[in-house]
Amino acid sequence: MDTLVSYYGLVVGAILIIIGIYGLLNSKNLVRILLSSEIIFNSAILLVFSGFSLLGRIYIPIVFSIFAVSMALVEAVVAFAAIFLYYRNKKSLEVE
Amino acid sequence: MSLTSEFIIGFFTFFGALSIASALYITRQKNVFYAAVSLAFLGISVAAMIALINTSSYSFYAAFHILLYVGATVVFLTISLVMFRGLNVREISVPWAPVIAVVAGMLIFIDLISSFSGITPSASVSSFSLQTLANDILQNYWFPAIIIIIALLTTMIEAITLARRD
Repeated sequence: MDTLVSYYGLVVGAILIIIGIYGLLNSKNLVRILLSSEIIFNSAILLVFSGFSLLGRIYIPIVFSIFAVSMALVEAVVAFAAIFLYYRNKKSLEVE
Repeated sequence: MSLTSEFIIGFFTFFGALSIASALYITRQKNVFYAAVSLAFLGISVAAMIALINTSSYSFYAAFHILLYVGATVVFLTISLVMFRGLNVREISVPWAPVIAVVAGMLIFIDLISSFSGITPSASVSSFSLQTLANDILQNYWFPAIIIIIALLTTMIEAITLARRD
């Protein structure tokens, strides 16, 4: 039964990756680009847990994801600081 | 209390649909503030799905994901967006974007599956223990842990610098 749920997780993760890439390509707004990259990050975490669960390895995805989520927090703050400086200079969130 | 398989599959389907709907809302919503709020629902849905994959082992990480990702990252993004004026997105139409997205997504997915197929499956599935995880991080992954600590410290300094404006 765990195997079936893991396969469902792989399918949902693949759909989320496609939606995230679509959002990246279809927008010029910096904040929406950042949010689309967060969709891809979430789908990657889901795919890692589903894939390693199928292989019977429990600790690898937990350790990997703890570090990945912590780095995602740092990355979001740094990216937001860059967006904030861009907005202060250009008075717009649109990429030219 | 053990969860029945119908219960787990039903809830997994619900949270899967919620995550896809939240992701679509993020990419289609014209106001990015509401899109950022929707990212919280996506994070909660993904955490719930991870917990349902292996309820005994992954519940700890699901709680960690909700606390750190939804509670810190998404709330930070949402609150910070208040500083901007004109949060409405000017829509652009890229006709080839859906095709590129499907092709790129499928390539990433196939690459991931082929990478997983190269890993030898574990013969016995060990049960999860928080003490084992803590020992593993402190003994085998101490260097990445230090890097994370330094990165979080620099983030705090950066936030203070931004808040001062000058």
